[in-house]
Amino acid sequence: MFQNTKCECGHQNPVGTVLCESCGKPLVEDLLVDDNTPLEMRYDGVARRSQKANPHIVDRIWNFFSSVKIAVYLIALTLLGASLGTIFQQESTLINMTENSEFAAYYKERYGTLGVIYHALGLSRTYESWWFILLLVMIGTSLVVCSLDRVLPLYRALSKQQIRKHLQFINRQQVVYAETLHGDQEQWLQQFGQQLKRKRYRVWKEDGALLAEKNRFSRWGPYINHIGLILFLLAVLARGIPAWHMDQYLALYEGETRQIPDTNYYVKNDKFIVEYYNEDELAENQKGTKVVKLYETKARLYECTEACDDPIKAPVLTEVEQHDIRVNSALSHKGLKLYQNSFQERVRFISVTPSLMDATSGKALGSFDLLMDDPKEKYEVGDYVLTLNDYYPDFTLDEQSRPMTKTRDPNNPAFVFRVEGPGLASKGEIYIYFPMPSETSKYYEKILNDSFKQRGDNTGKLAIRVENPIVDGKMNNIKYSEYTTYLNIRVDRAMPYIWVGAAISMIGLIMGFYWQHRRIWLRIDGDKLSLGGHTNKNSFGLRADVTWALGRTGIEVSPKSLDNRRNLR
Amino acid sequence: MTWWLDFSSDAFITAFYLYCASFISFAIAVAGKRWSNRKPEDHTNRWGKIGFGLAVVGWLAHLTFFFTRWYGGGHIPTSNMYEFMTFLGMAIMLAFIVVHLIYRNMILGAFTLPLVIIIIAYASVFPSEVQPLIPALNNVWLKIHVTTAATGEAFFAVGFAAALMQLIRVVDFTRTDKAGKRSQFWTEFSLFVIIVLIGFLVAVFAFRGAGYESNFSQETVTIDDNGVANSEVKEVKYSLPPIVAPYNSDTISFQSFIGMKEPLFESPSWLNGVNAGRKLNTVIWSIIAGIVLYGLLRLIARKPLAAVIHPHLSDIDPEDLEEISYRAIAIGFPIFTLGALIFAMIWAQIAWSRFWGWDPKEVWALVTFLFYSVYLHLRLSRGWQGTRSAWLAVIGFLVVMFTLIGVNLVIAGLHSYAGV
Ligand code: HEM
Repeated sequence: MFQNTKCECGHQNPVGTVLCESCGKPLVEDLLVDDNTPLEMRYDGVARRSQKANPHIVDRIWNFFSSVKIAVYLIALTLLGASLGTIFQQESTLINMTENSEFAAYYKERYGTLGVIYHALGLSRTYESWWFILLLVMIGTSLVVCSLDRVLPLYRALSKQQIRKHLQFINRQQVVYAETLHGDQEQWLQQFGQQLKRKRYRVWKEDGALLAEKNRFSRWGPYINHIGLILFLLAVLARGIPAWHMDQYLALYEGETRQIPDTNYYVKNDKFIVEYYNEDELAENQKGTKVVKLYETKARLYECTEACDDPIKAPVLTEVEQHDIRVNSALSHKGLKLYQNSFQERVRFISVTPSLMDATSGKALGSFDLLMDDPKEKYEVGDYVLTLNDYYPDFTLDEQSRPMTKTRDPNNPAFVFRVEGPGLASKGEIYIYFPMPSETSKYYEKILNDSFKQRGDNTGKLAIRVENPIVDGKMNNIKYSEYTTYLNIRVDRAMPYIWVGAAISMIGLIMGFYWQHRRIWLRIDGDKLSLGGHTNKNSFGLRADVTWALGRTGIEVSPKSLDNRRNLR
Repeated sequence: MTWWLDFSSDAFITAFYLYCASFISFAIAVAGKRWSNRKPEDHTNRWGKIGFGLAVVGWLAHLTFFFTRWYGGGHIPTSNMYEFMTFLGMAIMLAFIVVHLIYRNMILGAFTLPLVIIIIAYASVFPSEVQPLIPALNNVWLKIHVTTAATGEAFFAVGFAAALMQLIRVVDFTRTDKAGKRSQFWTEFSLFVIIVLIGFLVAVFAFRGAGYESNFSQETVTIDDNGVANSEVKEVKYSLPPIVAPYNSDTISFQSFIGMKEPLFESPSWLNGVNAGRKLNTVIWSIIAGIVLYGLLRLIARKPLAAVIHPHLSDIDPEDLEEISYRAIAIGFPIFTLGALIFAMIWAQIAWSRFWGWDPKEVWALVTFLFYSVYLHLRLSRGWQGTRSAWLAVIGFLVVMFTLIGVNLVIAGLHSYAGV
């Protein structure tokens, strides 16, 4: 396409220009026919980079991404892809599964054949899939290219506008008015400009021509919005940087202190509280059900200051934060956040205070404090010394009926003590002790102690047990946890960028949608007045402005008659 | 406190009747232009003003309902489906009032008010009792999020109403070519869908009024991690006569209905859960009631409903309607973005520790956002103004409604309120 790019007004325009940058005369052949059809005013008809004469490969890529049509396709595909992901549950919501085969089985069982297809197509992981991420990256690229492609030419066009425009340019705007002017033209023009100023237009005049403009800034709205979106998308991608992101769950029973894996921090659950609504606070259809009102973990965060990686010494902890963690109130410390996730009602002993008893007389010889998850090596009880020989936090028997521990959590702890003291053999006596009052553990305690006795390891004249475990219906000499709390531990260093991106985007949207760029061109040739007006949206408002200003200068018109589209019908 | 709640529901009923009265006035404004010997514009203006006045008073009653329920219930009434839908109705009225004040188009109300009436009638299908808040919902951001998102959606609703008017205005019943037939069909179909919604409401309230109830139980067997089979019996109450029973269920009680003594079908096995059968049953009833209602209207009118409305719109310019529709959407878009995405992300970050989790409701809010940005971008290109963009505005509102209701009824996620 060869085109004469020099306009009759003498301005040399770049290739691809639709309307002369200076006087606004249409330059493209088929636009030149003066039939009053409204002109396409986007970017004021200036050439964009993507409209180069001989596109190179780089230009082609550029052109691809700068096209709004492609952007619409990309957005539409993302929309479709995202909605496909909601047909069935996503794998990420099935937190107790990890293996692909487990997922496959789940989709088959739960959703049948369709589920098998869904899983096989990878739609059960839509939002982590390469094609979905690729779509987002392409939208991001398109946003960058498209904005650069247009914003600079638009800026150029708007910053050097000519006041006197070509007649074709004026007569082919959305809003037009033409009339023969009687009386003092100079005075009328002065007055008209004055009225537009009262509507907060900026007005420029040049012998017999006028340009009035307002809210130009709103033209930058879409671009600011796009910059915000780019930042947002970049921040989302940045969450993939491992050091920027942490997401793990920690279960803590009351009184427990645990290290947060991969950090220098420890968290302690001092106490967990659950409150339910009273019956009279519930609605009719909820009566008889338990509705949770509040649950919170009274938590303490410690930082390890010394002996942190020393396997022998206990780490030295310094408290850095104390917070009651609730669903809407996380503990936060230097970017580390601890959220309340859920809880489980599960009784577990924290510590007990058993007594060493004389088995025959039933008299207590003394008592000691025994921590369930972290017992000491030695206890002095009255005249006796108890040494911890063995400790099984989660006691069970293996296939050969040897004692072992299932897990490292003190679900059913067993303690093997060597007792030394008056009246006992010099090597002491061995007793096993199960604090949990369940029948199986008491049974194990009995048969194991009996077998020690048969081997001659003890004489059975001592016993270890809690005295008066229940007083007034409450547990006595026993500290226990009723609930296990689940905390979600998060680090998300991209968050500030996400919020900044969202805020910029929002500012752009508000600028672009709640203000409109309005321009009015006017020229007087002889006694003939020609007026053209353009706005990027809301021509209703522009027509109202023009009608108002004309009315104030003694020309009564109806807003509708100014509409160029209407005049065509 | 109960005094306030009683007062509040009285205010709600008042608002409902005022909206109906307002709708009738708007309908007279549109339909009765050639009745008296007055000038048609004067007639339209007069009845339009009455309609608008009634709408504003109704809205004040609606606001009264909202604030007294807030006071009486102890928390902002946006926390279950009933409360949310009534709030949405109120927001649509606000959007309507704003758009009406900008454009002073006396006929927009004739299309917006029925929409509001349907939405608040739909709200009343759900249990209306005040329920205490669960911990996750107890946060200011939730209130801000729900109210702004609904306000954005309300403007989309007004955009939808204007777009529908535009479509009925431009549909040409004299055309017999393919494209002409197609636009006639789809315009009529849109009206049919609305009638099905009304059919749903008629069916629900008629059977509820008659105290209809049948019950089923369904046994589901699940195998747990240890390989132990657990069976669980769930019961479900039907308030519409069961045409379909839940899959593999037993009838506990069956109230017969015009000779029907047992369900006609059982729902297919791939519809999981007892409630799936009941939902399918509701859909079937809505369509039946809708078809009956539509048939009756067609019998009375003896022509397509769009053809009945079409002549009354002849003196509005389609360009004006398009402008109103586009403008409403343009006003709504930033509000929706702020409420349904940004505030939602802030709240999700506070409550659930992640600003985004691809929960179905979140995804559908994003889909709505993307859909309307497609609409906005398409309008930048030639050939997409006019009827095509009106169709997009109509479909966009369907996406909004699916996000609000469909997701809760069809897909369950973290956001589910109690469904019907
Ligand atoms: C999810 C992604 C996007 C969103 C939410 C979005 C949003 C918007 C909005 C709200 C507008 C203003 C529309 C109006 O004024 O009526 C706009 C304008 C525009 N967008 Fe996007 N956009 C997105 C992606 C893109 C992409 C990828 C492109 C690249 C081609 C693009 C190109 C444009 C252009 C050229 C404009 C017109 C600017 C002007 O009026 O000067 N958009 N966009």
